[in-house]
Amino acid sequence: MQMEAKQAGLTCLCAGWTRKDRAPGAPWAATLPVLLAALVLVLLASGAVLAVYYDPRHAFWSVQGIMRGVQGGWLMLGYHRVGAGLVFALLGLHLFRTLLVRGYRGAGAMSWMLWVTLLAVLLLTGWLGFVLQGGAGGHWALLNATRAAVMMSGFPGTVAMWFFGGPAGGDTLARLLVLHAVLALGAAGLICMASRAAKRAKPVPNGQVVAFWPVYASQYFAALAGLALVFSLLLGFAPHWGQGMQSVFAPTPLLVAVPVSYPWYLWPLARLAGLLPGVGGQVLAVMVLFVLLYALPWLDRSNGAPPRRLYKVLIWLLGLDILVLGVAGPMLAALCSAWVFFHFLVLTPLVTAMEAA
Amino acid sequence: MMRRFFAPLLAVGVLASGAARAEDTLSPLHFQSQGWSGTIDKAAAQRGFAVYEGVCASCHSLHGLHYRDLEGLGLTPAQVAGIAANVRLANGQPATLNSRFKTPGAISMGGATPPDLSNIVAQRPGGTRYVYDFLTGFGPPPAGVSLLPGHFYNAVFPGGQVSMPAVLRDNAVTYADGAKASTAQEAADVAEFLTWASDPNLSARHAVGLRAVLFFAFLTIVALLVKRRIWREEG
Repeated sequence: MQMEAKQAGLTCLCAGWTRKDRAPGAPWAATLPVLLAALVLVLLASGAVLAVYYDPRHAFWSVQGIMRGVQGGWLMLGYHRVGAGLVFALLGLHLFRTLLVRGYRGAGAMSWMLWVTLLAVLLLTGWLGFVLQGGAGGHWALLNATRAAVMMSGFPGTVAMWFFGGPAGGDTLARLLVLHAVLALGAAGLICMASRAAKRAKPVPNGQVVAFWPVYASQYFAALAGLALVFSLLLGFAPHWGQGMQSVFAPTPLLVAVPVSYPWYLWPLARLAGLLPGVGGQVLAVMVLFVLLYALPWLDRSNGAPPRRLYKVLIWLLGLDILVLGVAGPMLAALCSAWVFFHFLVLTPLVTAMEAA
Repeated sequence: MMRRFFAPLLAVGVLASGAARAEDTLSPLHFQSQGWSGTIDKAAAQRGFAVYEGVCASCHSLHGLHYRDLEGLGLTPAQVAGIAANVRLANGQPATLNSRFKTPGAISMGGATPPDLSNIVAQRPGGTRYVYDFLTGFGPPPAGVSLLPGHFYNAVFPGGQVSMPAVLRDNAVTYADGAKASTAQEAADVAEFLTWASDPNLSARHAVGLRAVLFFAFLTIVALLVKRRIWREEG
């Protein structure tokens, strides 16, 4: 009797959360936010375990110690490494799809800007994670960044100083570890907010709702199982793919990482930042990119109808361009980076205005 | 059920590997650790440790490893304790299971510092094969190549000149399992040992990975079928 009451209570509690009715026939791509949230949870959990054994003052050898000496430590490192890569892959897919279906216009603008913020936060978190591994590459990336931060003046200098606390020293990684964790929690919050905003922007039309259980639950379950399959393939057989060899070298003064080889999810951004000379130029290029992404709902001059063929082709071209940008040599990288800005600044307003006309 | 089915197979496998005790990894050259489902060849890695301890350790550190880690190569705690007890650390004390591998004193080979070998296989493209090729790549310089002072010719090393002399020779160590200690055998064994040192969880990772992939592949197929059925009925 009590059991039944308890079960009923539990069902009631879950009902609010799971029984929400939705529009019928959502595509597989609509599961991406849930998959992202699952990955961020995996990252938070494995990161919490890693943080227990991590020593920011002996970063490289403590990560080696986790890999060699901690029970299941290699598995936790693998979860964190593979999870980080997949987060970027899935967020990239989600942003690409939003561009392709023009999901950033009108009511979708709020959730679009939150997803773009998530991208910025995750890129920063990913860079910090790369630095925290303490390998030769991360060591030099941090040295370069803090040197540039110390040289900056005015407001940017103040922000940079607040972030790094001065030139890279023994305690810098301890500071960055906290920032890494705080940003990761922020990313989890951003996913919740962006999903809510997306749901508000697209209310379910009355009369054609489908119950979450079992219709959507079955789709999410299948998507999560597929993600777990890809995850275990990478974890078991390619855990170091795209990580760069510099992270398995201990940082010594005799080993100079020029250029720094970043993990694969930072490749496009690192090359795009190189479009403008100097540290100020690099920061400017990245900031302009994000300003353009935020401004996209207004750069798009269409009336919000689904995009026509020309615009879709351009979006596909942009996606391809960013993939090529990740692996391009210096000349091609400059061209591909310039194309990104050209796409948002010139092509988008032009083509969408033509569509509206 | 599974065990009943696989036990005879396993027994045959063990017998076969026992019969091939003098297993030839040299002709053709192959490493059990290579490939998508590779596992560390513990017998070869144990021999490789003997080569490291007898030859390499006088110059190269293995800072990432503790003596207790050798249990991962199939040695018993007593055997590892025996190995550690024979090592005098810098402070004059014998090493214990929880000591890091002894770091040799500061050495300069014509201005070059011998690198730490903890991650050497991960630090070189095709690391296992590279270690073998490097250790067997020494020889007289080809005509027209003049060496820098204090350097030795090595066909595999970038630039062809290296500060390390050829240190492996036939019977540089005596193998406990009776294998013939040719130069090539020593190089192959130490390559397998260093592969293990760089990635001590390689065997476990492949085993866990394979099981997880099989399980989630099955789960994905079932979940897709369930989803299709539910969507046909309800959607």
